[in-house]
Amino acid sequence: MTLVRVPPPLQQDVDLSQTYDAVIVGSGAAGGMAAHVLTTRGLRVLMLEAGKKLPIEQELRSMQWPYDHPRRGDAPPGSHAVSFNEYTIRQPPYAKGSAFKHVYSYVGGWSGSDYVKNILVDEKDHPYTGTRYAWVRARCLGGKTNIWGRLALRLSDYDFKAKSHDGYGEDWPISYTDLAPYYDKVDLYLGISGVKENLPHLPDSLFQRPTKLNFAEVKLRQSLAKTGQVLTPYRAGVTTDGLKHNKYRSKCYGRGACHRRPGGCDIHAVFDSPTGLIYPAMDTGYLTVRPNSIAYEVLVDKNTGRARGVSFLDSETRKSYAAKAKVVILAASTLESARLLLLSRSPQHPNGLGNSSGHVGHNFCEHVMGPGVTGLVKELVGKPHTLDDGRPGGFYIPRFRNLKDRQPGFIRGYGFEGNSGHSMFPAHVMSTPGFGAQFKKTVRDYAGAFISMGAFGEVLPRYESHVDLDPELKDGWGIPVLRFHYQFSDNERKMAEDMAATGREMLEAAGIEVVGQDREILTEGWSIHELGTARMGNDPKTSVLSQFQQSHDVRNLFVVDGSSHVSASCQNPTWTIMALAWRSCEYLADEFRKGNL
Amino acid sequence: MTDSLSRRDMIAATAAALAVPLLPVKAPTAPAAVGLSGKFLTPAEYALLDELTELIIPSDAHSPGARAAGVAGYIDSRLAESLEPERQALWRSGLEAVDGLSRELSGQPFLTATPDQRVTVLTSMAAGERDPKTPPERFFGELKRWTVRGYYTSKIGIHVDQEYKGNVYQQGEFAGFDAQ
Repeated sequence: MTLVRVPPPLQQDVDLSQTYDAVIVGSGAAGGMAAHVLTTRGLRVLMLEAGKKLPIEQELRSMQWPYDHPRRGDAPPGSHAVSFNEYTIRQPPYAKGSAFKHVYSYVGGWSGSDYVKNILVDEKDHPYTGTRYAWVRARCLGGKTNIWGRLALRLSDYDFKAKSHDGYGEDWPISYTDLAPYYDKVDLYLGISGVKENLPHLPDSLFQRPTKLNFAEVKLRQSLAKTGQVLTPYRAGVTTDGLKHNKYRSKCYGRGACHRRPGGCDIHAVFDSPTGLIYPAMDTGYLTVRPNSIAYEVLVDKNTGRARGVSFLDSETRKSYAAKAKVVILAASTLESARLLLLSRSPQHPNGLGNSSGHVGHNFCEHVMGPGVTGLVKELVGKPHTLDDGRPGGFYIPRFRNLKDRQPGFIRGYGFEGNSGHSMFPAHVMSTPGFGAQFKKTVRDYAGAFISMGAFGEVLPRYESHVDLDPELKDGWGIPVLRFHYQFSDNERKMAEDMAATGREMLEAAGIEVVGQDREILTEGWSIHELGTARMGNDPKTSVLSQFQQSHDVRNLFVVDGSSHVSASCQNPTWTIMALAWRSCEYLADEFRKGNL
Repeated sequence: MTDSLSRRDMIAATAAALAVPLLPVKAPTAPAAVGLSGKFLTPAEYALLDELTELIIPSDAHSPGARAAGVAGYIDSRLAESLEPERQALWRSGLEAVDGLSRELSGQPFLTATPDQRVTVLTSMAAGERDPKTPPERFFGELKRWTVRGYYTSKIGIHVDQEYKGNVYQQGEFAGFDAQ
């Protein structure tokens, strides 16, 4: 079956003598979307990506059986992934003093680490300092979209107007009605699967056909429905019906690869930025992509204070170059974009570019995770194994706390992601005691009989939660690294207690025996949902960007990634990042044509 | 009704028959790895490991066990390429501790002990599974972890024992139930 098309070739020598209409730093969800929208509007765009362009299908090998891999999917010897224990007892930089040749974030310790060893950054070359933080980074064309978790959710006015609801933090400078048309565009252009539930706090998308639930999940859904709660099939950024306008992506065939964390889809039914956005943008003739280009400064015109381009290092030759552009768009990820702004100091912008408010790097927020629950569905023990794999995800239980009620211990809310059914590797094997014939039979009989779920909760943005530049340490390219000043607070801890207790209640109410319970909070950063280091707002004194992600200080500078988010919500951010970028880039193109930038 | 049920059963049986013979399933009584040298382990260590893995996941009427699935070979090749001398040393001393425990319990090295005596040794090692204290108890966790990893990622483990149905193209409807 030929499901993968050859991507357009990259230009060998990128012309850096010309001034592009726009230069985009980063090629993930945000950068890809900016490229899509601006090239559609006829702007000439240069995209700089710090990492390589990988032969991604050969990296992911989604359907490879473990026994066809010499180490059953493990990375080669000499590779080490930082464990939860290490994150807990050590301070960053985590690779410091390590005897291992390569050190990766915890994601490199998931089963299938060989499939992501070239996608994740090596911590040895990419250190950071400060408080504990599990910072997962992917430097390659498409960034983290190559391995993202695929849960594609909308935010609602419970999120955009959260301050109006409970008094904490700031409202976003937009409301749901401003963004809804752009969520629709993202849905239709990229494809999303799911089931309509008509929830005001989790608006529906324009869904393609949903993935299905299995026995245990239906059982839990029916039980939750009795108390007005919802379990819905995973809303996945996956095209299940196909996309006629995109020749680089196949529809989903429900193959078995999605169970393998970290995921990745080598037929690109799952959205990834290269096949979903960048290759089609290249086909317009308006996009030039330069990989191996590590941006380290946004260049500023001495006279006007406006952005005039980006300085970058070629990661292969280590030579320095400048890309000239009329508009500079940062989409390097929440933390890397903040780093780049802070690195870009000039006489006009002594605290870093676009930082007259002093808020760049601040109001840093994300999702807290860890608490979860595993249940045994007795009816399934000893039953023939069914095909439960090949789904981009199992189910999602949307937020239910602090919508109409007011919890005494915490504000905001959390949702559960979960899964059940038979998987390729029986996850319960190590918790099955003993050995021998009875052990083997027990593993077999209980395979597929478990259901588990874990919560993702909103972390409150606080001014003191921030990153700045380490005054001493530099990365493998001589660029100052980030220093973290960020820790969970009491609100997250109280919320986590509720996650654990409520997860247990939900399963028990469904008649499912709880056999495992996680109460511990995972290290800061674990959710890979970092947000909010250059927040939007109407007041230039307390925010970095306008509602169109345009710098208050520098009108031809935009930051279109998660750093613009005002609060984290508890819904996964990728779809919102792309809807916002689409909206901002429409505005950017309009202003560009009017000569206002 | 009976008719349609039996037809469904037949289709299922045919599918199973089609799936299984494609796999190189060795006889449930695969020969022990006596005299085989590993890439890292000595012949004696290799034979001991082979027997231990088979005791943890034995052949039964349902499916072949760890020996047929080549689990010892898998562990040995991972140890051979390991760049962590501590890990290699842990396995070497762990296997030695098994023999030591066997001598203590039955006066025999593990491989010359009777089948019942071997089970007694492993039972003693597994007794501290939740909170291992002695070196053999600690080694049991490592041994079991790598044995199950080797077995349940093997062809026999995935297809014959677990009868895993996934990693296939679903051309029509996805398997499962609608959210109604």
